[in-house]
Amino acid sequence: MNDVWQSDWSMMAPEWIVLAAAIALLVMDLALPSDRSRRPLAWGAAAAAALAMIATAAMIPAGSASILHDTFRLDAFAKAFKFILLAGGALALLLVAEWAPKEGSPHRGEFVYMMLFALLGAMMMASSGDLLTLFVSLELLSVSSYILAGLRKTAPASNEAALKYVINGGIATAIMLFGMSYVFGLTGTTNLGGIARRLQETNEPYMLALAFLLLLIGVSFKLATVPFHMWAPDVYEGAPVPATAFFAVVSKTAGFALLLRLLVTIFAAAPSEGRDPSSLLLSMQPIITVLAGLTMIIGSVVALRQRSLKRLLAYSGIAHAGYLLAGFAAMSWAMIDSLWMYLLVYTLMNIGAFAIIAHIVNETGSDDLDGLAGLYRHRPFLAAALGLFLLSLAGIPGTAGFIAKLHIFIGLVVTEPGHYVLAAVMAITTVISYVYYFNLIVQLFFRPTFTAPLGRLPAGLSTAVVLCALGTLAIGWAPGLAYDMLAQFGHFGDFLP
Amino acid sequence: MSNIYANSYLIIFVFLCLGVLLPIGALTAGRWLRPHVPSDAKATTYESGNNPFHDSRVQFQVRYYLFALLFVIFDIETVFLYPWAVVYDQLGLFALVEMIIFIVLLAIGLIYAWKKKVLRWM
Repeated sequence: MNDVWQSDWSMMAPEWIVLAAAIALLVMDLALPSDRSRRPLAWGAAAAAALAMIATAAMIPAGSASILHDTFRLDAFAKAFKFILLAGGALALLLVAEWAPKEGSPHRGEFVYMMLFALLGAMMMASSGDLLTLFVSLELLSVSSYILAGLRKTAPASNEAALKYVINGGIATAIMLFGMSYVFGLTGTTNLGGIARRLQETNEPYMLALAFLLLLIGVSFKLATVPFHMWAPDVYEGAPVPATAFFAVVSKTAGFALLLRLLVTIFAAAPSEGRDPSSLLLSMQPIITVLAGLTMIIGSVVALRQRSLKRLLAYSGIAHAGYLLAGFAAMSWAMIDSLWMYLLVYTLMNIGAFAIIAHIVNETGSDDLDGLAGLYRHRPFLAAALGLFLLSLAGIPGTAGFIAKLHIFIGLVVTEPGHYVLAAVMAITTVISYVYYFNLIVQLFFRPTFTAPLGRLPAGLSTAVVLCALGTLAIGWAPGLAYDMLAQFGHFGDFLP
Repeated sequence: MSNIYANSYLIIFVFLCLGVLLPIGALTAGRWLRPHVPSDAKATTYESGNNPFHDSRVQFQVRYYLFALLFVIFDIETVFLYPWAVVYDQLGLFALVEMIIFIVLLAIGLIYAWKKKVLRWM
């Protein structure tokens, strides 16, 4: 009991801010008369997320610390990933402020605080060092996400998305929990550090490999990587655009935080089978490599045939998850660095693109490719911004996407032995992805308009677009900015407990 | 230790086999033993001796579901509150604070349900 009082609860400041904001906004939403606009609530939530981001940034110089035997860890990894999660969450909340579906938005209040709760789950996930907190925070993120997907209650597509998400997510959670039960059964502890230490003494490679595969299946549902990616396009298409942006960015980042926390911490030091037992994680490398390759190929190739912008970005998101998984499969010494870099850049360019799609969907009521046609003629800045995000997603030099992709690519080639096949697959799928990104750019700049001109970008969306465009350009032209930040994290030397 | 762990699954396997084989065995044995004299009366739905009437599918008012959900929430609250109240003296201040947080969060849920007109039968 003394541990509870003696812990330094102030290190959870970002979580407290988000939790307090979510509850305060919930009560405010209930107290406000029903005819009042809920838009200020979304701005307030975005401000709270930004405040939590500042609180996280203020804690970067401090060393790593933990509460209650590592159930909550504040190491460099937690700070770095919370920074991305909060940035993505704040930007997605700006999209919520300007969310205007054609049937009206009676549930904007729910949208705001459910997104904050989901964000809280994602943040806790990045900094938990115990299976219990990891699982509870995963559920907080997942359950809130299911609600977010179904918030357009009168739209059948949204209901379908929510139902698909909840069923698929439930199955994934069950499989992951089963995997966790093996890990717990073999070690008798839920503490990740304790598990890693106990596993060094046991020699149970087959049972552990089974646990690893079950956990990998559960995580890859969350990441939407092949072969568990099928839910993503349907859910992304049916969900409201701000929720789609949130799933694409925050859920994915949280998924990779979970992947690293769970699989690397538990299995990096566990012995594998054979006469020369090395790490179980390394012995599973071929499986992850194949999955990464398949994810890149399927994501890129299927995206070629999409007409809906949301589905297209869903498949492009699958391809990007493949690039990230390739970075994980390389298992170079800078693995976490390059994943962090990629996720930061991915957050900026993806939310920027989703902000503009949100505007198009608000104005035209559809997310068909044709909505982009001739955008350059009446909204040149908007078209230029979307062009920038698409170039960055494609990984053209001069944009942030190139720097991030280069990092992963170098990681693949410099390790011993090098993953040349995976690097080649990455290069080829990047070229394939040019086809659909450039197809969009052709629509933007060279096609005649056949829809009514779009209105001006509302304040929330333009804030998000400007911030994302500045970030994309800044990291593209001066990658030193991101490297300096990485240096502050000390290359995540305190990751393993 | 880990052998015991793996062998525990053997028991689950035995139960799985039992679960699959018992109904198959019982039904097959019954088929061999029983006389086979079908009639129209035997083919009707079994309703504890009553004559079956109208559709077997009954629609319930969906609001029962919301009430049931609210009931479960407060049921769980009691489940937590009761043991806490029994050992209140040993647990002290920390558990009191925790319980207050728990009750406040549940109260917010109740206010939510009230504001969203869940409590009104329309």
